[in-house]
Parts: sequence; C-alpha cells; structure tokens
Amino acid sequence: MRERNSAIAIHNPSSRWGHRITCLMGICLLISVAGCSGDRSILDPAGPAARDVRLIWWVMLSFATVVLLGVTAVWLYAFRPRSVERTAAQERRIARRWIIGGGLVLPVASITALLMFGVPAGQRMLPLPLSEPPEVIEVIGHQWWWEVRYPGAEGGEVVTANQLVMPAGEPVDFHVSGADVIHAFWVPRLGGKIDMLPGRVNKIRLEADEPAVFGAQCAELCGVGHAHMHLYVEAVPRDEFDAWLMARQETELSEAATQASTHDGAREAFMTHCASCHEVAGVSQGRVGPNLSDVGSRTMLGAGAMPMEEGAISQWLQNHQTLKPGNKMPAHDDIDTDTLDALGAWLETLSP
Amino acid sequence: MKSVNQEAVEHDPQQLHDDLHDIWGNPKGLKALTIVNHTTLGLRFMITGMVFFLIGGILAMLVRTQLAMPDQDFMSPEIYNQVTTMHGTVMMFLFAIPMLEGLAIYLIPKMIGARDLVCPRLTSLGYFCYLFGGIILTSSLIIEMAPSSGWFMYTPLSSKEFAPDLGSDFWLLGITFVEISALSAGVELVVSILRTRTQGMALHKMPLFAWYILAMALMIVVGFPPLILGSVLLELERAVGMPFFQIAGGGDPVLWQHLFWLFGHPEVYIIFLPAAGIVSTLIPVFAGRPIVGYGWVVAAITIMGFISFGLWVHHMFTIGIPQLAQAFFSAASMLVAVPTAIQVFVWIATLWLGKPKMKLPMLWVMGFLIIFVCGGLTGVMLALVPFNWQVHDTHFVVAHMHYVLVGGMFFPLIAGLYYWLPLFSGRMPSENLGRWGFWLTFLGFNGTFLIMHWTGLLGMPRRIYTYEAGSGWEIFNLLSSISSFILSAGIAMVLLDIALHFRFGKPAKHNPWNADTLEWANTMPPSAYNFVSLPNVETRHPLWDDPNLPHTMAEGKHSLAVASHGRREMWGTDPITGKVREIIHLPGNSWWPLFAASALAVVCLSLLTRVYLLAGVFVIIAGIFLLRWSWENGAHPNAAPDAGVKPGDPPLHSRTMDGPGLWAMGVFLIANGSFFLSYLFGWFYLWTVSPQWRMPETPPLSLMLMGAAGVAVFAGAVIMEKLIRGLRQQRDAGLGAGFYTAAALGALQIGLTGWALWQAELSPTQTSHDAVMLVGLAYALFHGCLAVILTVLQGLRVGYGYVGVHAPFEPGVVALLWRYNVVVFGLLIGALAVLPRVIGG
Repeated sequence: MRERNSAIAIHNPSSRWGHRITCLMGICLLISVAGCSGDRSILDPAGPAARDVRLIWWVMLSFATVVLLGVTAVWLYAFRPRSVERTAAQERRIARRWIIGGGLVLPVASITALLMFGVPAGQRMLPLPLSEPPEVIEVIGHQWWWEVRYPGAEGGEVVTANQLVMPAGEPVDFHVSGADVIHAFWVPRLGGKIDMLPGRVNKIRLEADEPAVFGAQCAELCGVGHAHMHLYVEAVPRDEFDAWLMARQETELSEAATQASTHDGAREAFMTHCASCHEVAGVSQGRVGPNLSDVGSRTMLGAGAMPMEEGAISQWLQNHQTLKPGNKMPAHDDIDTDTLDALGAWLETLSP
Repeated sequence: MKSVNQEAVEHDPQQLHDDLHDIWGNPKGLKALTIVNHTTLGLRFMITGMVFFLIGGILAMLVRTQLAMPDQDFMSPEIYNQVTTMHGTVMMFLFAIPMLEGLAIYLIPKMIGARDLVCPRLTSLGYFCYLFGGIILTSSLIIEMAPSSGWFMYTPLSSKEFAPDLGSDFWLLGITFVEISALSAGVELVVSILRTRTQGMALHKMPLFAWYILAMALMIVVGFPPLILGSVLLELERAVGMPFFQIAGGGDPVLWQHLFWLFGHPEVYIIFLPAAGIVSTLIPVFAGRPIVGYGWVVAAITIMGFISFGLWVHHMFTIGIPQLAQAFFSAASMLVAVPTAIQVFVWIATLWLGKPKMKLPMLWVMGFLIIFVCGGLTGVMLALVPFNWQVHDTHFVVAHMHYVLVGGMFFPLIAGLYYWLPLFSGRMPSENLGRWGFWLTFLGFNGTFLIMHWTGLLGMPRRIYTYEAGSGWEIFNLLSSISSFILSAGIAMVLLDIALHFRFGKPAKHNPWNADTLEWANTMPPSAYNFVSLPNVETRHPLWDDPNLPHTMAEGKHSLAVASHGRREMWGTDPITGKVREIIHLPGNSWWPLFAASALAVVCLSLLTRVYLLAGVFVIIAGIFLLRWSWENGAHPNAAPDAGVKPGDPPLHSRTMDGPGLWAMGVFLIANGSFFLSYLFGWFYLWTVSPQWRMPETPPLSLMLMGAAGVAVFAGAVIMEKLIRGLRQQRDAGLGAGFYTAAALGALQIGLTGWALWQAELSPTQTSHDAVMLVGLAYALFHGCLAVILTVLQGLRVGYGYVGVHAPFEPGVVALLWRYNVVVFGLLIGALAVLPRVIGG
C-alpha cells in the first residue's frame, strides 16, 4: 500500500449502526405480525394458485433477508480499524474471492434455485387443457364496472354485472377483456391478475378451496373511477351455483320483470330514462351500462360503491356522483325524487 | 508522438491564465444566455433539476397526504391522477436524467483532462430545450390540465377518446421536447469521452466514472428514440386520427406498451449507471486505495447495458404474452443481478482491502448500498412470473421501484454532491447538519417504503386515489405518510446544508478528500477553461501518482498552453489509445442555441394549441437557426480562418478528415437508426400481432417508383464518396459542381418518393396500415430533404472558400448522412414495398 496523507481520524461507528438496524428490523417484525388477513390479502390465500405464491413469497423473503443482512454486515465490518499488510498477490486473491463468490456464484445459484422453485408454480396457473373442461366465466371490464357472462350455463348464457359467483372446489377459467380501456382482473386471495385488453381475450385459471366471499378490485389505472371499481366475488358449492345460474335464465328473469304490478309506473319511467343504457330482461336492451336484470339480488351497488339494502337504489340514483365521482351515468337532477324512489323500489324487486 | 508539445515554453503563468480567461471566460448580463461552457451549463442543469425535484417532491407529499387516511376527499380523483402522473413524469424526465446529465456535463471534461465538451453549442441547445420543455410540461399543473393517464401513458386511456383534454398532448409534446436535450447530451458525452481524453489516457486508463457515463450516454442514444417514435405516433393519432393504437383501425394499444418499455426499462439503468459511477469513484477515494477489479467493473457495465435492452417485457407480464417469451424475459431479468452483484462485491472488496473512512459522502454511499440491495432483491422476486402476477400494479411495486430509484440514484447523487461540493464552491459542507439530514432521510425513506411492500401484499392496488375504511390498509398507509414527512424533513435539511455551505462553509484545502482523478487538478471553483495546460496521463490515478501535477498544470508546464491564436483549443485523441490526433478548436459563445430552442418552444406550443400553420412556420425558422449555427464552422471567420499551429503540433481538426463532428454525426445516426428500427418493429408488430390489421389486396406502393428513387439516392451517395476520395488525394476540382449534382439526385429521390406516395392514395385516418406507411415515407422524405439542404450548403461553402482541400472536414460528415439514407431507404423499400408482395396479406 502506498502512503497517503490522511488528516481524518478513523473511528468505528459500526456498532451504532448495528443497533439502529436491529431497531429497524424489530419494527418490521412488529408490522408483519400485525396481520396478513384481509379480503384482498395475497398472504391469506383461499386457493391453490395464491397458496403457491404465498409460499414462494415467504421463502424468497427469508432468503433475501439473509442476503441483505449478510451484505450489510460485511460492508460495515470492512470499516473496522485494522492494520494488515498484504502483498499484491494476496490482495488479488482476496479480491477475486469476493468478486467471484459474491458477484457470480451467489446470484447464479440464487437464480437457479428460484427458477427451479418458481417455474412449476407458474405452470399450475396456466389454463392448460384438462380432462374435464372447466367452467368458463367471461369478465369484461368497463369504465368503471364489470360485466360478467356465463356462456356455458345450461339453458342459455347468463349475464350479470358487478358480481361474480363461481363454483368452489373446482378450477374455473376466466376469459377476460376490456370494453373501452385496459383494466385488470384480480382476485388476490385466489391468484394472480391478468390484464383486460380491448380487442383481445386473456385467460387465467383460478380455484377457490371453499365457499367464501372474496374482495376484488381493478388493478390497472383506468381513469377517474379506478378506485371505485370493485367486484364482489363469491364461491358457492356446485349445486348452489347451478341453481343460481338456473334462476337467472332470461325467461325466468323477464317473467318477474314484466308481470303487471304496482310497479307499472316505475317501469314506464325506466323505459323513458334508463332503458337506452341498461338492459332488464324482457323490458329493455340497453348495452351501455350494467345489465340490471337481477340487480335486486346483488350485494353491492355501483361496483362496490355502497351496500345493497332497502332504499339503497333510490339513494344511489340521487347521489351517485358523490358516491362514485366521475361515473358515466348522468346525474338525475331532472327526475323528481318520487320517481327515483319508485324506480329504486321496482329495481329492488328484480331478484330471482 | 508520446508527449506532444511537452517542452512547453516558460510562460508567465498569470499572463497565460489571463489570456486563456479572455478567450474562455463567461460574459455577464444578458449575454450570459450565450454561454456554451460546460461548467456553467452543468451547474444550470443541476440547479434546474433540483427545482424540478422540489416540484416532484411536493407532488409526492400531496399523494401521501391524500392516502394518509381512508375515504379522504382532499383531492378529487381527476386531480389525484394528474398529481401521480406528474410526480412520476417530473421525477423521471425533469429530475433524474437531466440532473445526472448535468453532473456528467460538469465533470466529464474535467476528469478526462479536456477543456470543454466537444459540441459546446449543443450543450446550450440541450439546456434550453430542457428548461422550456420542463416549463411547458409543469405549467399544465397550474391550469389543472396536466396529463392524468399515468407516467407510462398507456393507450387507449391516453387516447383522444378517453382523454380528450390537452393533458396527454402536454405530456407527449413536452417530453419529446425535453428528450432533445437528453439526446443531445447523450451524443456529445459519447463523442467527448471517446475523442477528447487528454493525451496518453487510453481507454483502459480512463476513470471508471467515464466508463459509466459512456455506457449511460450510449444507452440514452439507443434507448430514447423508441419513446420519441411512440410519442410522435400517439400525438399523430390524437391530432389527426391516425389509428396506430386503435383496434378498430387495425392498430394495437399494446404496441404503445412495447415502445414505452423499450425505452422505459433501459431508462432505469440510464439512471442507475451514473449513480453507480459516483459510488465507484467515491469508494476508492475513501478507502484510500485503487478499486479492485477495474476490468470486472467495466465488463459489468457493458453487460448491464446490453441486458437492459432485453428486459422490457417484464413490465408487461400480465398482458397475456406467450409463455416462452415470459420465461425468456423472466430469466433475463434475473440475470441482470449478476453484473449488479459483481459491482457490489467489487465495492466490498475495495473497502475490505483498503482503510475506509466514514466521511459524510460515505454515509450516503452506505445508505445507497442497503436500500439498493434491498430493491435489487425485490426486483429478482418480481422477475418470477407467478409472483409478479400477484403483486404487479400493487403498492409492492411502488415500494420496489422507489427502493431502486431513490436508493440507486438519489442516495449516490447526494453522496456525489457532497463529495464534489468543494470543487463546485471551494468550501466544505457541514458534517453535523449533513449527518442529521442523512439519518432523517434514511429512516424516513425506509419508514415510507418498507411498509409499502406490506400494503401491497395486503392487496392495495397502485394509483387508487382512496380506499375504504376496513380494508386493513389504514395503519400502514398512515405510517407511510408520517414517515414520508420525516423523509422530506431530511431532504430539506440536506438542501439547506448545501445552500448554506456556499455562504458559511469552511474554505476547502486543495483536493480535500485526497482523490486520484484529474477534476481535482482544477482550481476550486474551476476556471472556464479548466486547465492552463493539458498533461500526458498514462495512469488511472494521476493525482496519486504525481501529487504535484495540479501545480505543474497550472504553471503551463504541459501541452497546449498557448492562447495567442485566440481559439478555444483542446486535444482530439485516438478513441482507444489516447494518442493525440489533432487539435480540436471549439466554437465560442453563441446566440443560435437559444434562438433555435425558442423557435422549437414555439413549435411545441403551437402544436399544443393546434395552430399547425404557425408550427410549420417555426419548424422552418428553427431549421434556419440551426443551419445558420452550422455555418460558423471550419474556415469561417468566426471559427478558425487561420489554421496556423505551433511547429510540431498536429493540425486543427477542421483541416483533417476525421474530427469530432464526424463522430457526433455517427452517434446521432445511431440514435436515428434506433428510431428507424423502432419504426420497423412497429410495422412488423402491427402486421403480425394486431387483431384487426388489414393488408390491402394490392400493395399500394409502386415498386418501380420506389426502386427508381432508391437508385437516385444511391447514385447521390456514390458521388459524395467520390468527392471525399478526391479530397483525401488533395483534389478539389469540380467539388462545388459535384455537391450540386448529388443534391439534384437527392431532389430526384424526393420527387420520385413523393410521386409514389401520391400514387398510393393512402387513407391514413382509416387504417393503421396506411398510417404506418405514410409515417415511413414521411421519414424518408424528411431525410432526403435534410441531405439535399446540407449538400447544397456544402456547395455554397466551397464558393466561400470555407470548404476545400485546405479544409476538407465537413463533406465527410454530410456523406455519412447519405450513406445512412441509402441503407434506410433500401430497408424501407424492402419492408413496405417488397415484403407485402412476397408474403402478401
């Protein structure tokens, strides 16, 4: 080593940093035990795909933590005061060990392990052909709501909106696309997300272990309503699922919607104000907004904007621009409250 | 020719300094706008970058305030989308890149022993384009019409139908304008590093920082054009309705994503490399020994540069691309960990074998290491496709990205600023305030973003302006928001420390950190010409090997210590060996860059307001300014009318056939070629992948007319080559006539191409096929016109006596453009006229 004039005293602050880093790790631990659950939590899986990913995550996190702590420790240790004289050859040897060991062996070994571990998990998520073709559910993203179609339903295709009912305990293929801009379909507790592109159909296979309700939300920025684009997902036993589909056959729905009743006035108002955008089986053909044929049976209104309860639809019709700013339904200032109440009351009866 | 001019005459150093100052010094008052000096412009870049950093930082604080608690209506969703979009855009385009380029512009000539960058007027043009573009872009915030489709501007959300306001136009036009600045800095940094190192500084002897900047600059040159193409296409779609990204017209919104990330991923490394360069510069200085594994680092930089262009698809794992492609991009994304790890362990080994000191800059380097390694590790996780599908577009990615960008760029940048502050100002920063600033920033940063990984794992998507109570994300968002205010307090303290030090800092002693590189041979602060005399440097550590070097340089004991000729001079050296080839004479201060940038700003504004006539007029005006600027070259009275050099010295570059302008043209054509290849990529991508692409029954482009045009441009290029060969053999008879003949052939090419275009009867607003074809032909026509104009100007310059056997440099530069045009036109004929006939619809 050549001599250099250094006026700066060497001090050893590494123990202080060690302390600070320990504190930091403690905080992290505290946060991590605070909870993994939540209706959209990746760490609270409810299906095989999401469970694989959770396992991958914890393994990767443990390994990454070891690497980070190791690198930091070595770095800080290098600042210790010392006076070792080494020959140039010794220096070269030490340097080469660090560079080859840390720069080549470590990353190559880690990557190989990661790929061997991760690739099979990815394979299981692909919609590969099965001996028994799975149920297909089509989901189409709109600004800012979800159209859900069941092309394989016995008796004819079933169409609904903003609610996704699926059979539990069996794989389901989702065929997704976008009607206007790009959205993304994602049920975190079941598995990964896939983009909903206009003009294309993407496929993903998901499975729910048990009957349960899951949160889902659009994951690709799609405009001002992006934060308010929720999807209610419910997995039900197979027979319940079949019954659910059967109850939503067009003939069944239109019979309920068109029978003469106290709601005739509301139906007329609907034809005047709503029918050009909304479809109600047997009543109207509008395709701009969500299909309302079974709206009375849904759990949430306005793609998760408010819970469905008595009088909720009328509230929604009056305040929807506050509840879900920027949504594309016109404000109904020109319609008096009584009409809106009546409309809401009728729509709430549309429940198979 | 090992040490040209070494036996320098014994001058009075003070007299020499005064003379050099007369030639190089900066004017005051309004004329300060004409300054082309790299030191001044580098500082301007950095100060402007810091202002934009503060704007971007305030936007970030607005975001964190909005997200601190659930169901807040502090901002409406529209404003929130504008704020997040602009935060990303400002930080990436108006802070990170220009800031690092500013640092490189300031440091590179000083480190390689040059007196300025090789195209000083281009530095100035770049600065003004950056300034004006930045002002135009950020002004959209004031009128609440900022872009709101995210900093990545995905179509169709950013298209006319779903974003009818001017927001997207502000982004597309403003960013393209700013990119002129990035590209021009990229071009001149490449040429400066390759051709103006001081004598003896072979490629393998140059400081590592220069390697990093060389890689960054080359990556800018290749990486930015795809985005410029994408922006041009999207703006054309928005303004005139050409359906490049619309399914119905045969376009594809995913093409935008490819073009964006073809730029966007290298961009990450463009930001990281110079920052890593700072780390590789600081660690040896504070470890008190040379870096171990210089060759390893150079190899790692090179590999990183190449791999980074093969990773872009990992931003698009959820768009439904084929499995094989995903596997490839997944593995490639993980492989980039190898060159990164090599650098990290080179740094560790250097510290291990040295005697490191934890001075203030090293504290920031330590912060960098911890944060960046953490970000790198989550990056490897994200490269695993199944995991990516879960966390993509969640706050996990937001956290990862900030670990990589803040850890990988901001921390080293502050380390570098503290390290070079004494050079900038001649004063030392305060250790105390600086340490407080560091710890607040470090803890605030980790508090904000470490927690955010968790928020993302709990399922919080990105870019939502609010979330409902009961989601389980409340406490984590609140902690992130509180920490972000600690982070901003830390950054405020750092900036305060830096600002105060200019007034109160202790005067620094010379070379205060005992560094090894040439920039510390400057006076502190540096003079406009950097060095009185240029040394012969054959070591990687000139100041360690000869601590007396700064004094002998200041005394004029080395080469080029001449001022009597009144020219701004430095060495032009061999790109590999560093042997002296010629004397480069640089242009002085000039109004033309400001004028040209102002005209371009008017173009930008009139495109924004859709006054296309005005835009057209000012494109021509800007062109005239730029051509007028190029007029003052070579033997022009304002450049170097008299070619006299000291006996024994090499000739002026304008009297040779191989000066820096030729190299600049070459590097510019690499950028241009990247633009053209992106265009071909777009053509073939839409052709093969777009769901509703329609190939016309009969190919519309006449093969005969296009072929004839191709022959014309080829003949023109052959004539140019013949003229060059003549000049090389000292013949310039018929030179002017030769230029005019070539120009006439170029005009013929333009005419025939125009005829083919007219005959094709394209309807570019109906199908993307016709739109893409029109863009390709417009590109060819523009380049044809450029070649004709430049060639005619060469003919005129022969008449004025600025070009000829005595000054044979410029025709070679123009001939290079001709060669490029021949290749590009041939490829265009193949892609647009031949292949559709061979393969068919």
